[in-house]
Amino acid sequence: MQVYIRSSGNISPQHSLEKDLFFAHREMQDGNRWHAVEPEYSRYVDSKMIRRMSRIVRMGVAASKACLDEAEVRMPSGIVTGTAYGCLEDTGIFLRRMIDNQEELLTPTAFIQSTHNTVGAQIALLLKCHGYNNTIVHRGFSFENALMDAMLLLREGMDNVLAGAIDEITEDSHAILSRFGLYIPAIDNPEITAKTHKGSVAGEGASFFLLSSQEIHGARAILRGISTIYKPESLAGVESRIHAFLKESSVLSDGIGLVLSGANGDGDHDEIDNYLSATAFRNKTIVPFKQLCGEYPTASGFALWLAVLLISEQKTPDWLPNVSFPLRNILIHNHYDNNHHALYLISAC
Amino acid sequence: MDKLMGQLKRQIIERLNLKDLKPEDIGDDQPLFVEGLGLDSIDALELIVLLQQDYHIKLDKAEDGPKVFHSVRTMADYITKHSPAKKAS
Repeated sequence: MQVYIRSSGNISPQHSLEKDLFFAHREMQDGNRWHAVEPEYSRYVDSKMIRRMSRIVRMGVAASKACLDEAEVRMPSGIVTGTAYGCLEDTGIFLRRMIDNQEELLTPTAFIQSTHNTVGAQIALLLKCHGYNNTIVHRGFSFENALMDAMLLLREGMDNVLAGAIDEITEDSHAILSRFGLYIPAIDNPEITAKTHKGSVAGEGASFFLLSSQEIHGARAILRGISTIYKPESLAGVESRIHAFLKESSVLSDGIGLVLSGANGDGDHDEIDNYLSATAFRNKTIVPFKQLCGEYPTASGFALWLAVLLISEQKTPDWLPNVSFPLRNILIHNHYDNNHHALYLISAC
Repeated sequence: MDKLMGQLKRQIIERLNLKDLKPEDIGDDQPLFVEGLGLDSIDALELIVLLQQDYHIKLDKAEDGPKVFHSVRTMADYITKHSPAKKAS
């Protein structure tokens, strides 16, 4: 089933909320934790409402507002969000207070805001949207399953669905995940795929899309399909799934003008990226999008936002490699730790 | 009393994350809820915990809440009358 992407909104370690800035300037951050470039939130949310929102909630609310504003839609029929980590900051605050206060005198605010569905709920509260509201928590497939849920709602007849992905990195989560060896201990070059390391760079962000089953004037792109592969048995197995995916979508491999790859420079998991570069993606322009947003379980939300931007604007920033135009189709191949693989096909309207 | 009210204003701002406000923006007799500062029921729970944690005062009767938390002055009055030191004397 294909759906139309009417608009998008994104907050990431790049200036992705402001298109002109994004095209003009690539943000380069030091270290192995890339912070989202956050806007002045009072532009998006009433300052009285902001005070209880943690960073991830603010990011999600602002990205969703930017998305709806772009489509000039005030009320979506449904809201579906995907997050792997949920609201970590408030979870940390709540747990720390439990320990500090010996499980007594606990205030409700941090607890209320610590649940994974807080972002979707806050968006609905602000919009006064009483429609379908669901949050999918499924590790590296959280966003993919949120999108699939949204696509099923559209198939059932809903007009438009706001679908998004949010994940944050906090001091605590970064410290814990660093102990698991997820992040490069000492990074000397933000071009993380230029050489292989042990681990990658922690990223974060919020991506929202307004989806519709009907072609609407001004729609920015077509999402032709999504496919997921969990723990592929072999490298060749992924390659054959890519060919099958394109065939199902009636797009020839030659018709793919750009591949957005989830390669992240992690030597433990990049065998598949190297293999696909030499096989399915041979002779194709490949952009490793995690050089822009870092690694996190819902990073494919950033990739989809980037694909929609490039295909709708029909131009690339000077700092991205040369892409041939007109750009008709973009394939995204993302994987999280080589366990959760996802394919997206995006076409121009 | 003035010192206590100033301290309460700073604590309310910090505890309720009212970043846009300064202590001098909150009037001594300004209602804290609804038409005044615009606080709500979740804030009320935060204020109850503030009393208990920072002043060791437990609100005896829940129905006293609206009167005690009407304004900074009523809070300060309640703290003055119910502080453990005062009770001991």
